[in-house]
Amino acid sequence: MTLLVAEGLTIVIGGRQIVHGIDFFIEAGRSLALVGASGSGKSQTCLAPFGLSAATVTGSFLFDDVELVGAGEEKLRHIRGRDIGFVFQQPLTALTPHLTIGAQLREAWTQAGAQRPSRAEMAAALDRVGLDRPGERLDQYPHRLSGGQRQRALIAMAIAHKPRLLVADEPTTALDAVLRTEIMALLRRLTVEQGMAMLLVSHELATVAHHADDVAVLHDGRIVESGPARQILGAPKSDYARALIAASPRLDGPAPILGPAGAPLIEARDVAVSFARPGWRSGRLEAVAGVDLDIAEGEAVAIVGGSGSGKSTLARAIARLGPIDSGEVRWRGAPLPSRKSMRPHNRAGLQPVFQDPVASLDPLWRVRDIVAEPLRQLRPDLVDAAVAARVEKMLAEVGLDPALANRRPSGLSGGQAQRVAIARALSPDPALLLLDEATSALDVLVAGTILDLLGELQRRRGLSILMITHDLAVARRLCHRIVVMDAGMIVEEGPTERLIETPRHEVTRRLVEASR
Amino acid sequence: MFDLIRRRLLTALPTLAAVIILSFILMRVAPGGPFDGERPLDPQTREALMSAYGLDKPLHEQITLYITNLLRGDFGPSLVYRDFTVTDLIARGLPVSLTLGGLALLLALILGLGAGLTTAARAGSRIDHGIMLGATLLTALPSFVVGPLLALLFGLWTGWLPVSGWGDGDARHMILPVIALALPAAGAIAKLARAGLAEVLGQDHIRMARARGMRWSRILIVHALRPALIPVASYLGPAAAGMLTGAVVIETVFALPGLGRYFVQGALNRDYPLVLGVVTLYAGLIILFNLLADLAYGWLDPRARL
Repeated sequence: MTLLVAEGLTIVIGGRQIVHGIDFFIEAGRSLALVGASGSGKSQTCLAPFGLSAATVTGSFLFDDVELVGAGEEKLRHIRGRDIGFVFQQPLTALTPHLTIGAQLREAWTQAGAQRPSRAEMAAALDRVGLDRPGERLDQYPHRLSGGQRQRALIAMAIAHKPRLLVADEPTTALDAVLRTEIMALLRRLTVEQGMAMLLVSHELATVAHHADDVAVLHDGRIVESGPARQILGAPKSDYARALIAASPRLDGPAPILGPAGAPLIEARDVAVSFARPGWRSGRLEAVAGVDLDIAEGEAVAIVGGSGSGKSTLARAIARLGPIDSGEVRWRGAPLPSRKSMRPHNRAGLQPVFQDPVASLDPLWRVRDIVAEPLRQLRPDLVDAAVAARVEKMLAEVGLDPALANRRPSGLSGGQAQRVAIARALSPDPALLLLDEATSALDVLVAGTILDLLGELQRRRGLSILMITHDLAVARRLCHRIVVMDAGMIVEEGPTERLIETPRHEVTRRLVEASR
Repeated sequence: MFDLIRRRLLTALPTLAAVIILSFILMRVAPGGPFDGERPLDPQTREALMSAYGLDKPLHEQITLYITNLLRGDFGPSLVYRDFTVTDLIARGLPVSLTLGGLALLLALILGLGAGLTTAARAGSRIDHGIMLGATLLTALPSFVVGPLLALLFGLWTGWLPVSGWGDGDARHMILPVIALALPAAGAIAKLARAGLAEVLGQDHIRMARARGMRWSRILIVHALRPALIPVASYLGPAAAGMLTGAVVIETVFALPGLGRYFVQGALNRDYPLVLGVVTLYAGLIILFNLLADLAYGWLDPRARL
C-alpha cells in the first residue's frame, strides 16, 4: 500500500520558489531518503506539507489518501499528532528544558489518545532506543543527558504514539561519527520492528544509502535521480549524484598525496587541563590528563575522538587559546609563552579556523577588513598598500573572487565564509593552522572542496596542520598522522594508513567502523 | 536548595548589620534631633530626656546597645509617640502594609501575566500593539501620579470609592491604593512576560511540540510559559521591595495607617528608633523576597537547581 504520494509538489517561501514540482512516494513500511546539499529544498519538502513552516505549498501531497495541500491548521495538527513522528537535527534544544524525560515521554505517548503508560512501559520504551539506566532517566531533566542520549529520548518520543510515518530531518548531523552510525541503525531497526514508513532527510548520500530502501537526490528543488539506494550508491546515473558520492570522505579509495614532513615544530609534554565542576559541586573535571603531542614542520596531524574526549581542549591548550593546568609546549625548540604572555609574533605563527564560519566572522565587517585584521595586529611593519595587496593575494589563494572583498559575511555562502576564515588565518603567514572541526558544519560538496583547498595549501606552503575532528575519513583526506583520544587520554596514534587498516585500540576500531 | 537558603541566611546577617549601622550614623548626621520642636525645651528638661533615652552616650555605645536590644527582639521606645514602643507601632502598621503590598503584587502578576500571554499568543495583532502601548504607559507613570489620578476619577468625580483612610480593613478602602500600587509593576511584568514568551516561542522545543500536534494553548502553558517567566522572576524580588517602598508614597497619598506613614513621620521628627526599626524590617523583608525570587528561579529552570 502506498502511504505517501507527492505529485508536482511546489514550495514557495517569501516569494522565492525553492521546490519545483517534485514527485515521490513511500510505500507503507519502507524508507525513502531525500538527499541534497543545503538549499536544495529537502528540509522544506518534509516540513512544509505538514504545516510546520511558513511556506506556501501547491501541487499534491497525499498521506493515506488524504490531501494535505490546502488542509487547515487544525486538520494538519490532528494528522501530525496521530500518524506522524518527527525527529529533528538539534537534539540539544529539541526537548523542553523544564520537564523531565518521563513527563515528555508520557505526553508524546498519549498525544494520539492512548492510555497513560506505566513507568515500566516508559522505561521499556527508553530501553528499546538504547538509553542506558532507563528507569533513572524518566526522572531526569534534559540537561543531564548528552546529545546522543537526548536524540535517543527524542526518537522514543517520536515513535511512542505508534505513528505510521517517521519524518527524520538530518537526525544525525549534530552527532559525532560513532553516534551517527548507531542512531541511523536504530532508526532503521525501529521502522522494521514497528512497520513504520520513514522519510529521511540528509546531506550525506553515502551514510543514508546504507539505511534507506530508496533514495531521491534533490538538487536546486528538483529530483535529479531516484531509485533503490543500492543502485544509486553503486551506479549513479546523474553527474550530481556522482559528485555527492565522490565528495564524501571515505576510508577506502586512493590515498591522498601529502607533502614531506621536516624538523619538529611543536613538542607538547604532559599537558593537563581540568575544569571546575559547574555550580557549587566540589572537585574538578579532568578534560585532558597528561598528554604528549608532537607536530613536525609541514606535517598534518589529526586528533580524532568522540564528543567529550578532550580533543578540542587539548588543541586549544597547545595553541594557547584555552586554559592549561600543567605541561610544557615548545615551539621550534623554545618554550611557547603562556596564554597571557603570547606576543604578536607568537600568534602570527599559529592561526585557528573554527567550525561555524558565519559565527566566527564579525557580521558588521567587510571581507577585506576581516582578512586584513590579523595583519594589522600581528604585522605592524606593513603599510596600508602592502596590506591591501596581501588581502587580494590571500583571497585569490583560497579561490575567492576579489570582488567579494567588499561584501559582509551575511552576503556569503557557508563555503565562501569558511574560505574567508581560512584566508584570514593564512594572512600573517602562519607555520601551523589549527582546524577545529573546520568542515563539519558544511555540506558534503562544499566540505570536499574546502578539504581539497586545505590539502593544496598544505603542500604548496609546507604548512603544518593540527586538525580536530570526530570523523576518521575526514582526517584521512588531509593528515599524515592520526591521534585517537578518549576520556582525556591518547589511546592510539600512528601513521594514517596503518591506524585505519590495523586499528589496535577498541575506540579506534569503533571510529573506523563508523566511517565505513 | 537548602544549601542556597543556608548560604543566603549567612550573608543576610552582615547585610542587615551594615544596613543598621549605616542608617544609625546617617540619622545622627542629619541636622536636628527628636526634641527640637517649634517651641524649644528648656535645657534641663532636654538634658533629662537625652539621658533617659541614652542619647548622651558615645555613638558606638549607642549602636552596640541598640543591636543588643534588637537581638532580644526589642526595637526600643518611640521618642515622639511617647506612650508606644516601636514594636507596638510596627505591629499596627505592618498588617496594613503587607495587605496592601501583597494584594498589589498579586494584582500586578495577574494583570501582567494575562497581558503578556495574550499579546505573545497574538503577536503582531492590534490587541498586541494596544496592550503593549498601555504597558509602556503604565511603566512610565509612577504610582504617585496614578494614585491621585485614580482618586480624582473614581473618588472625587464619580464618588464610587473612598479615597482616604483604611476604614478598619473595609475592602472598598483598599481598591484604589492597591490598583495604584499594582499598575506600574503590572506594566513591567507584561513587557517582560511578552518578551520572554516571544523568545521561547522561537526555540526548537516549541517546534518539536508543534510537530507532535499539541494544541497551541497547551504549548503556551506547558512548554513555553515556565522558561518565559525567568525574567519575570528575576524582576519580582526588586518589585516586591518596590511594593514596600512604593507603599510609603501610596500610604501618604491615601492616608493609610501603614508602616510607610510611621516611616515618613519618624524621619521628619528624627524619631531615631522608629526609623531604624522600620528600615531594619524593610531590609529583612527585601532579603527574604530576593531569596524567594531565587527559589522561584530554580523551579522555573531545572538547570539553575544545584
